[in-house]
Amino acid sequence: MSTATTDIHIPPSRQGAARLMWLRERGMGASILVAAISTAFGVMLISATGFALAMLAADPYIGNTGTLGALDSILVAILLGLALYVAAVVTANTFSTIIAGRTRQIALLRLIGASARAQRAEVARQGLVVGVIGAFIGFVGATALAAVGVALATELLALEGVHYTVLRPTLLLPAVVVTLTTWAAAWAGSRRVLTVTPLEALGGSVESSHGDLVHRRGRNGTAIALFVTGGALLTLGVLAGFFTPLGVVVAFFGGLLSFTGLALGATLIMPPALRLVGRAFGKSATARLAAENALRYPERSSRMAIGVVMGITLVTMLAVATESAKRVLAAGAGGELPPEIAAPIDTFAAIMMGMVAVSAVIAGVGLVNLLTLGVVQRRRELGLLRALGLSNRQVRRVVLLEATHITITALVTGLLLGIIYGWAGAQSLLGFVRVDPEGAVPSTLVAPALPLWPIVAVVAATAVLTLIAAVAPTRLATRITPVQALVD
Amino acid sequence: MRVILEMYEDASVDRRTGYGRLHSVEGMELTSTDLGLTARVQHLTKTYGSGEGEVHALDDVSVGIRRGEFTAIMGPSGSGKSTLMHIMAGLDAPSSGSAWIGDTEITGLSDHDLTILRRRRVGFVFQAFNLVPTLHAWGNILLPFDLDGRRPTALEKARVDGLVESLGLGSRLSHRPHELSGGQQQRVAIARALATAPDLVFADEPTGNLDSRSGREVLALLRTACREHGQSIAMVTHDAVAAAYADRVLFLGDGRIVADKPRQTAEELSAFMLATELGAASVATSAGSDTTAEMSA
Repeated sequence: MSTATTDIHIPPSRQGAARLMWLRERGMGASILVAAISTAFGVMLISATGFALAMLAADPYIGNTGTLGALDSILVAILLGLALYVAAVVTANTFSTIIAGRTRQIALLRLIGASARAQRAEVARQGLVVGVIGAFIGFVGATALAAVGVALATELLALEGVHYTVLRPTLLLPAVVVTLTTWAAAWAGSRRVLTVTPLEALGGSVESSHGDLVHRRGRNGTAIALFVTGGALLTLGVLAGFFTPLGVVVAFFGGLLSFTGLALGATLIMPPALRLVGRAFGKSATARLAAENALRYPERSSRMAIGVVMGITLVTMLAVATESAKRVLAAGAGGELPPEIAAPIDTFAAIMMGMVAVSAVIAGVGLVNLLTLGVVQRRRELGLLRALGLSNRQVRRVVLLEATHITITALVTGLLLGIIYGWAGAQSLLGFVRVDPEGAVPSTLVAPALPLWPIVAVVAATAVLTLIAAVAPTRLATRITPVQALVD
Repeated sequence: MRVILEMYEDASVDRRTGYGRLHSVEGMELTSTDLGLTARVQHLTKTYGSGEGEVHALDDVSVGIRRGEFTAIMGPSGSGKSTLMHIMAGLDAPSSGSAWIGDTEITGLSDHDLTILRRRRVGFVFQAFNLVPTLHAWGNILLPFDLDGRRPTALEKARVDGLVESLGLGSRLSHRPHELSGGQQQRVAIARALATAPDLVFADEPTGNLDSRSGREVLALLRTACREHGQSIAMVTHDAVAAAYADRVLFLGDGRIVADKPRQTAEELSAFMLATELGAASVATSAGSDTTAEMSA
């Protein structure tokens, strides 16, 4: 890792290998995976919607798809933007965690004479390489998959008139954007490099304390302002919805602003929520160690949790909105909703949920990464605890509980937000529908309807994510022997 | 007169009588308790690697740590002193030989049993990274009880309170480790190590990271715990000043015990170490003084 910045003479034959050694560092693989998933998602999304549009265009009854095409572009942009946002958060988080683990090495290089800025540029360059590799893998994989899919669909559905070329310039767009965001995220995540002093290479025995717990008043202020404005717009949209379906437009922007505020102010909301959940697990040593660990780097765990929150919120929101909308429409139709109306609504909702679930998967990768790096960087502490009498079973419990604290906090927050947003969406869109013609009020108050199965699916998926996220770090943690950790 | 000779191989000495072998007349093996020992090892060997690169960290070591005594284990880097401590404390397994804590043979115990044993019967003070950074001082002190899933009994609570008082930690209990000075951190670690009144406290270079004043304080605290509360302590160190606080000093060299001395001044210890370094040790130990026992191996 260090060779590229210190100008140590290495035989040319070995230089290439040494130069890419850092890619084997823990956390880099996951960042490549995140970039690959995001790119693949973008390529698949563009291909799938493009193909669907081509199918519609070939349909003599529909023909002109200009408006649909524009709508489709917007939808693709929103979904891809969402996935990219989560991916960027995950990557920035991963890099800042990697940097925290590299403190000694960076300090040593600073001691020898490397400048902090050059060190940071080096990290950003690594982010660029990670982005390029991930985007390339995702692009090639997804393009091949899309080509097979299109060929199969054309064959199976006997679509003679549909001509769709998979390989097209627009597919490069997600690859390029992912590469750039990964680069930017690595840069953003490497801020701590600037604060590493050469002295840290010498002292070393004192753990760098809560380095990333920095109060950023400006950002918190913006977050609160966004959240309040968004909340007000959301309320306004709901109220306007009693008179016109256009209320949903106001509500949409309200939702967007308030959620951005939440994401930005994650460090304000998530730590207290994490603390609350942590307390609920009791006061045993393992529960307390896990709770404190989840809060050790509040910024890290907050951002990680907010990624999972986003996925859960969006899935829940879509589920609640469609269910509530169906109720209103059913009431308006006088009881049962005709299947020819219900079916396309359900299909659309299901597809959309699948799309936003990709963001949740990316957040999941980030969670696994966070926990794993957390264990790696806590080797000594875990060794100490093993020496003092923490059994391997207790080690396993601590790691699993730590994952559980984050996912449960994210689940509860996400469900709550999803229900509110989903209800607000349905209400602002359909509030004007007159369900009871003889009623005193000319509009309707939609009760938030909770669809059972999507919510069960969300809870189950979160449980699975928790278990998966805990597997790798648990295995690592139980392999630590007290002596190894003490000798280091 | 105090008998300094300690158990070497079979020539072990019963402290009460001053004579006798490890195996008594009836063929019954004497327990550590009978010998007045709180921990002992017999024919302990630890080998790393194999073939050409084989390293003997410990080479047939037999020794006992006496109950209620402050024992220092000295030796240069690579002499095997840390390995000896790790095996005695149940942190590592020997290649061959046996180790006891009290009357419990710990060689061959499962990982889980060893964990429980460390939790209940052994205390640790390390050079650095002694405390869990996310727990405040009080949480760190009570950790052995918490890990055991229980609260301290009234007696234990009284002892912990007394420790906190005598270590001057009263106002620091709600601080996290990074808010404490190095000396304070070590005192918290000492309070934790003494809290359960373990059979034996292992201190691994406890002053290695401290300034000399804090270091002296820590050593005086350990000596007080031993003198006033009968706490058995084994301290690994390469610092003659630190070892001068101990009642007994064991010297290790190349994986063997090369000397076993009663209380020494730092000057005497330094002189001895220097002599050993110069390669004169093998001669000096037997000719040196009547209190220096020679290893027959």
